[in-house]
Amino acid sequence: MKRRDFLKFIGAGGLGAAAGFIFGRTGKPPGAKLMPVLIPDDNITLGLANYYSSLCTQCGAGCGIQARVMDGRVKKIEGNPGHPVSKGKLCALGQAGVQSLYNPDRIKTPLKRRGERGTGDYVEISWDEALKAVTANLAEIEKQKKADKLFLLTSPQRGSLGGLMRGFMAGIGSANIHEYELSRYLNLQYANKVSMGLDGLPYYDIANTRYLLSFGADFSSTWASPVNMSYGYGQMRQGAHRGKLVQVEPRMSLTGANADEWVPARPGSEAILALAIAHAIVEKGWYKGADAGAWRSLLGRYSPKDVQEMTDVSTERIYSIAKEISSNKPSMVIGGDGLASYDNGISGHVAVNILNHLIGANGAIGGVLPNDHDSGKVDFKRGIAPFNQAALSGNASALIVHNANPAFTTPVAAKTGEALRKIPFIVSLTSFMDETSVYADIILPIHTGLEDWGDDTPSPGVGFPVRTIMQPVVTPVYDTKSAGDIFLSVAASLGGKTASSLKAGSFAQYVKDSWQGAYAKDRAMASSALTFEEFWNNLLKKGGWWTDQEPKKRSINVSAQAVSAYLPQGQAKFDGKDTDYPLYLVLYQQHGMRDGRGANLPWLQELADPTTTVVWGSWVDINPKTAASRGIKEGDLVTVESPYGKVTLPAYLYPAIRPDTVGMPIGQGHSAYGRFARSRGANPIEILPFKEDARSGAYALNSTRVRLSSNGKGNMVKIEGSTKELGRGIIRTVSSKG
Amino acid sequence: MSGVLKTIGERLKAFRVPGYYKKYDHYWTMVVDLDKCNGCAACTVACYAENNIPVVGDDQCAKGRVFNWIRLEKYVEGEYPDVKIRHIPIMCQQCSKAPCETGCPVYATYHNQDGLNVQVYNRCVGTFTCATYCPYDVRRFNWHTYTQEKPLEQQYNPDVTVREMGVMEKCTFCIQRIRAAKDKAKDEGRKVQDGEVKPACVQTCPTGAMIFGDLNDTGSEVYKLASNARTYRLLDDLNTVPSVIYLKKVSGNGGTTHG
Ligand code: SF4
Ligand code: SF4
Ligand code: SF4
Repeated sequence: MKRRDFLKFIGAGGLGAAAGFIFGRTGKPPGAKLMPVLIPDDNITLGLANYYSSLCTQCGAGCGIQARVMDGRVKKIEGNPGHPVSKGKLCALGQAGVQSLYNPDRIKTPLKRRGERGTGDYVEISWDEALKAVTANLAEIEKQKKADKLFLLTSPQRGSLGGLMRGFMAGIGSANIHEYELSRYLNLQYANKVSMGLDGLPYYDIANTRYLLSFGADFSSTWASPVNMSYGYGQMRQGAHRGKLVQVEPRMSLTGANADEWVPARPGSEAILALAIAHAIVEKGWYKGADAGAWRSLLGRYSPKDVQEMTDVSTERIYSIAKEISSNKPSMVIGGDGLASYDNGISGHVAVNILNHLIGANGAIGGVLPNDHDSGKVDFKRGIAPFNQAALSGNASALIVHNANPAFTTPVAAKTGEALRKIPFIVSLTSFMDETSVYADIILPIHTGLEDWGDDTPSPGVGFPVRTIMQPVVTPVYDTKSAGDIFLSVAASLGGKTASSLKAGSFAQYVKDSWQGAYAKDRAMASSALTFEEFWNNLLKKGGWWTDQEPKKRSINVSAQAVSAYLPQGQAKFDGKDTDYPLYLVLYQQHGMRDGRGANLPWLQELADPTTTVVWGSWVDINPKTAASRGIKEGDLVTVESPYGKVTLPAYLYPAIRPDTVGMPIGQGHSAYGRFARSRGANPIEILPFKEDARSGAYALNSTRVRLSSNGKGNMVKIEGSTKELGRGIIRTVSSKG
Repeated sequence: MSGVLKTIGERLKAFRVPGYYKKYDHYWTMVVDLDKCNGCAACTVACYAENNIPVVGDDQCAKGRVFNWIRLEKYVEGEYPDVKIRHIPIMCQQCSKAPCETGCPVYATYHNQDGLNVQVYNRCVGTFTCATYCPYDVRRFNWHTYTQEKPLEQQYNPDVTVREMGVMEKCTFCIQRIRAAKDKAKDEGRKVQDGEVKPACVQTCPTGAMIFGDLNDTGSEVYKLASNARTYRLLDDLNTVPSVIYLKKVSGNGGTTHG
């Protein structure tokens, strides 16, 4: 080795002595308590960094990473420069992935419940005992012929682990797999399915667009694939064709702050606004398609004049947006959480698809491009409502939870806690004691992404096929196992069909085997003479498989007839009479925290929220005028009350929110989840009604009105001083030409 | 530079001449395009990870002691509905005429031969003078010896010192990465190439808003950008001659163009 900065991009093929325990055996290798440097592994040279390609598992975007490993420890995570999703970049949450690995609140050994469910009172047990308990319970269920009532609740799985889980459940004889997380973009996926026949989330070619109209898609911060989309945004904002961004949302998000124009439409009227813009495009003849007539009659009732009152957006503004988006091509419309989070979320996304059709963005470069890869089909019937219903009515004989936390991300009205209490046996496969795991009888601590094998097909994709590989970059920090290995070993002990359907000796092997298909395809494509082992080793070095193509344009049609059943009837519904509850409540994910998963990472707790600069807590956004009329001052504790409950938080006077609306971030207010997360801020989800759309399985976050009462002085820590430049010319601007 | 400058006075005088650093091999410069930056703060977290920056907790944050070497500053203009919120990432500006350097009684902060404003931790006696003189509020003081809860410290970057109570610190332009690149280039008998040094913030910046390089290298990206019509330096009327160059944000109006 020459210099300490010598970068080695080595795959597991080069792992040498370490491979023994990284590959097959789980649990600690012999001698793991020794300083690893006493007998260095072949791949460890003191002071030399190795870089391993893998996958970020901090959110569902699927960014390719490279972990910098020195002396057997992860020092830093960077984006994998060759990876089409991350392009060498990472977001704040991704950067903090290493704090998930070395988190002091990781579950270190298997646990068995001692106290009441929900109290988090557990005793440590051995892996042997834990796995026996799980097997015994599942065997008992099989014996009682209740195996079809076994439920599996997991974070969405797009790779081998998902396949393994499906095999396991099929073997046992249960169809009850519920993939769950707060942001699954179900309304968006449902709308794309019914209006364009697309599965998965498409690629939004922001880099090449010249006019981007976003309905509440906070892609700079939390939405869909923030790194990839921010990269595209940076590309868009350069050169002779600098693209314009217009953001529609009642509370200005970080993306809204970056926008050239902010349109604070009335909450719940965004779908109508989108169709009014569509109406204007057709009316003015800016849409030249042969089906213009069909659209004219379908959109007749959404004339800008008729909806300006409901949307609170003037007719002039609607026409001007319609004109700009029609004359600055390629242009594109994106619908984000701000659009999807209402009870008419499907309509909102269908409206966006119509708009994209009229401006020619569907399938176009600089527009919305479908993926050529299969990132799995969504079973829209398996939301959290049917799961809770089954559990509440005693129709769940046992539950396996894997990295899913509905107890934190569903309203009290959903009765998730009650449902969990009713299930006779719960085993949780998790790295952290979260709000759902506290109901489990047995806790099986699993590896984090940096210690485990896996793979992923990103969604949103990038417009051409990509599959990312995840490999262990260090030996496990604690006595944890791979979730895949747990399923395999339980299947083997159960015997019968479950065992015979899952034959792999280890999850590492299972993952590797699952790449045989890709290998065959690659050979055919590249007519290369690589052996599978060579292919596999290249894969591990590179971080996955992709073909370095540019996305290609496609033809996608949205027909007036297909979408007519999904048009919005009016403004979305909000519970609570406006006389009792005068303000709309809108929720959004807190930067870095996302759906709450980032709250146990100290770097993210101490990271100032970009819109409010608040650290270590949460807040309620109130327009200064609204606050003044109620005598509320910044930092005052304010109780926000809906017909379903109340939460109390300090007030942040935010000038960029509608005066008839209050906002609260999702992410804080944990009752479990470790020392950094627990008892900070409040969880606004608690006070929502539970309205899950039976078609898509998505539940509406923005669906209630609230009232405020002041409650004395609070304790809000924010970083900002004065927010005024006071003539110092700190952020200078130049106006654009043309 | 000809001859040896014997006294500190002589050196200071020489080093106060604007442009003196042009005589050296490198003039490390950061360009931040405010039209691209979307305020995502990935840079802040990357900097924590790279530079062993302590997390201090809410009590300390409330006292204004947060340690972010690079922060997103937020400015608000106008009233609803015509509100503008703008962000700017601010780190040590590595001023060529650095006010902080003039005050330090022990020369713990001085200018090095690469045009960097460096901080010698084991020379610092914690008088806080530099932080008071810095107009950009980028210096951070270790009021305590901040420790991380085990095993978080296993992540610490061995290339960077862990600081203790009483020491001042700030953005170093990731000097450890600069050193590594210079060492490697020296071993290979060549010059450091453009793009070879990427500070942690630059490396992770998803929008590509940050560009780093050597202003002395006329072929470099930063050299090209330095003549962009949108350049300005922060609080430039103070004549601190920062090594950070900002590119103005464009207030777009549809169908826009800029260089
Ligand atoms: S968006 Fe951020 S958290 Fe999500 S996969 Fe990419 S880097 Fe990781
Ligand atoms: S990482 Fe880049 S885009 Fe994000 S805040 Fe920092 S400079 Fe701006
Ligand atoms: S250059 Fe390095 S030290 Fe300075 S802000 Fe960026 S990451 Fe931090």
